[in-house]
Amino acid sequence: MLNKLALSGIKHRMRDYTVLFSGLMIASAIFYMFMSLATNQAFLSSNSPAAATSFIFGFGIVLLAIITIVYVNYANTFLLSMRQKEYGMFMMLGAKSSKISRMIFIETFAIGAISTIIGTLIGIVATGFVSRWLIGMLDMQVKHFSSFYLPALIWTFVFFIVIFMFSAIRNSVSLRRTKVLTLLNRDSQPVKIKRNGVLKAVQAVLGLILLAIGYFTMWFSGNNPGAIYLGIPVALVTIVGGTYLTINSFVTAVILMLKRRVNYSQKGLNNFTLSQLSFRINDYTKILSMVSIMFALALGAITVGLGFNNQIDNVVNGQNYYDVQVTNPDAAQQKRLKDLNIDKKVVYNYKTDGKKVYYRTSEFKKQPIGYSQINVKTMQSKLGTTSDIKKNSNAQYELMNTRLPETRGMQTEFVSDQDYNAINSKETSTVLIKTNSFKDNLSEIKAISKAEIKSYPALKNAGGDKYSAYTLINGFFSGLEFMGFFLGIAFLAMLASCLMFKILSGANGDVKRYNMLYKIGTKQKMLRATINKEIAVLFAVPAILGIIHVLIGLQLFVKLLYKPYMNIEIPFAIFIVLYLGYYFLTRYLYKKIVLK
Amino acid sequence: MEKIVEVQNVEKIYGKAGEKQFKALSDVNFEVKPGEFVGIMGASGSGKTTLLNILSTLDTPTSGQVEIAGQDITKLNNNQMADFRANKIGFIFQDFNLLENLTAYENIALPLALQNKPVKSIKPSVMSIAEKLGLTDILNHYPTELSGGQKQRVAAARALVHQPSIVFGDEPTGALDSKSARALLDTLTKINREDNVSILLVTHDPFSASFCDRILFIKDGEIGQELKKEDATRAEYYQEILDSLGTFAE
Repeated sequence: MLNKLALSGIKHRMRDYTVLFSGLMIASAIFYMFMSLATNQAFLSSNSPAAATSFIFGFGIVLLAIITIVYVNYANTFLLSMRQKEYGMFMMLGAKSSKISRMIFIETFAIGAISTIIGTLIGIVATGFVSRWLIGMLDMQVKHFSSFYLPALIWTFVFFIVIFMFSAIRNSVSLRRTKVLTLLNRDSQPVKIKRNGVLKAVQAVLGLILLAIGYFTMWFSGNNPGAIYLGIPVALVTIVGGTYLTINSFVTAVILMLKRRVNYSQKGLNNFTLSQLSFRINDYTKILSMVSIMFALALGAITVGLGFNNQIDNVVNGQNYYDVQVTNPDAAQQKRLKDLNIDKKVVYNYKTDGKKVYYRTSEFKKQPIGYSQINVKTMQSKLGTTSDIKKNSNAQYELMNTRLPETRGMQTEFVSDQDYNAINSKETSTVLIKTNSFKDNLSEIKAISKAEIKSYPALKNAGGDKYSAYTLINGFFSGLEFMGFFLGIAFLAMLASCLMFKILSGANGDVKRYNMLYKIGTKQKMLRATINKEIAVLFAVPAILGIIHVLIGLQLFVKLLYKPYMNIEIPFAIFIVLYLGYYFLTRYLYKKIVLK
Repeated sequence: MEKIVEVQNVEKIYGKAGEKQFKALSDVNFEVKPGEFVGIMGASGSGKTTLLNILSTLDTPTSGQVEIAGQDITKLNNNQMADFRANKIGFIFQDFNLLENLTAYENIALPLALQNKPVKSIKPSVMSIAEKLGLTDILNHYPTELSGGQKQRVAAARALVHQPSIVFGDEPTGALDSKSARALLDTLTKINREDNVSILLVTHDPFSASFCDRILFIKDGEIGQELKKEDATRAEYYQEILDSLGTFAE
């Protein structure tokens, strides 16, 4: 009978349970997605040259496990807050507390098990989808990766079963210990008031000092690579501490300041919103700090991942001046060349006697040759052109690589037109093209390079053109890039769902407040606006801090990456769009719970 | 303005046509004059809360007309209803309904801020009503730091601060001890007499009702008897109410 009652209780709160289930499913889906990478040793070792990769992923697993536990904990509180009144009523009607605690145990565990199974399935699908999207979008080459990976599946199940087991035990114990009356009236438990101005001021100053130390350390160890082993732990500790203190005090101080400005606070519901926030922030300090740190790590991972993508461009453009090189183009190849967006085109002819290769000096006078030059110290490449090829070894090297492989080892001679005409052998013609952008013409260049290899199979191993350099380097960096993106997106989804849950678990307590405001004549529009504002601030505080952390944290990579701040708006935009999605979802769900 | 509230032939039916219907109010007619202190008494389920919800625009009648301060409130849209509540009505609830994250002062100031009153005028209004209700010393306290009686006086101040046409009380003494209840009723009576504020009190407590000038008894959705205080003392009136309640059920 009681079981039936409990089930009917669930039916009546389908909406709340939908929120709970979807949240838990997201958690296990993300956990699986992450594990599918992290536990796949073949993938890790074949896609990253760095030994640190396994370590980074190990670190990632620990972090993700911690947030998942926190997350399940919030979800659990949400569940308990929904159910305690009902269970209190059963107890009042005479149900034994042992029976009730068994019921909550089964309920918690069942919810956990069902959501984990469905969530993992979603995780498998999502992993396939995300990886395909990433690989397609960024033209990546990823080896040994599959969206279904059994060890990851097992790890996810084991991990979630363990935490739900603990949650279930905790719920049943806490329910058994709580008095029936408290259970029945928990909604109306008073809010605690805290006033400690001096302590807050000290915290605010201390928080800013810690952040300053952390930022300085990152900047310093980025510019002095030797300091990095001490720098990273110091930065981690000071930034975590600084973030916590700043949110706990500085943000409250700003809110208080706004409250004191009566011209702002005494308008409409502003004062109510500010008070809600200042109370929330006290309660939310831990989660907001955690979210802002995670935000920084996730955004950092994506930014650095894309930084590797920029690295590809840099390295590839440093290899060759010309984007395309074609030997004796036939009609089909000529047609392909026409599809390119051509910036510069030159044609050089040569003859060979089996020992030497001969070019006409006059051809280079008429069409100066382009070449690239890498500065070994800065790893930056410089492009140039010259009409006096005899004196330029870089240009000679570039020219050598444009020939067919069998003639590359031969000595190059630059001769007069007369001497050239006297050589009695077949003439070979090389067409070199520089497009307006290698990346924008990538698909056409790829087709040309493939056709070229088909005509001259020796090119397959010898390479020499820009496209084969690109394939090599892209393969090298893609793995790192993929990991950065995947890590970033998984963390983001997790931290944003964490924040969403925390906010939603407080929603039940707000129903009464909003109902009262409605009764004394607040328009629905105004109520919705105040909810939007409140949730926006809760999302913005960690985001702003996180963005600052990343902007300064990139200093760590100034020596490692080519221009780490280049194209930074791309990862930021991707990240913010996803994060905004969570904001809109949260406020929609919140309003569904709170407003009529 | 002769009447502050005029209710004509109001009927409220719950449940859709064709389904099982329940008539919560049937043919209710009454009026409240400016400065009157009127009580509505009835047992649980008699329809008094439905009536109060309709009067305060939280619910609409199935048929009939309700005019408050000369305005037909049954013809308002949602926004107009909200404005109407914010401007014309003061509420005192049984469970206070104060916002526990705002101080007493901020709670009282809320209706004025909602109406976007000039900021300069807010403080004098709040201070004046706070003084009248003896709240000056506790304005910076949060609700959790106040006693039940103090909380309800803060709620009363919030209901009065924007000088509404009428104050509705929904069992305002229901959660108070006898001493606080008496103090609140004395305060309401004082404000009713001195400032000519109209008050409509819904209650099932004869003691609270004995502070009213006139009582309407509601039973099964209909207004039956009406009892006027006239020249009787409060103690005599209380006895009359008890007598009426004794016979009203029959």
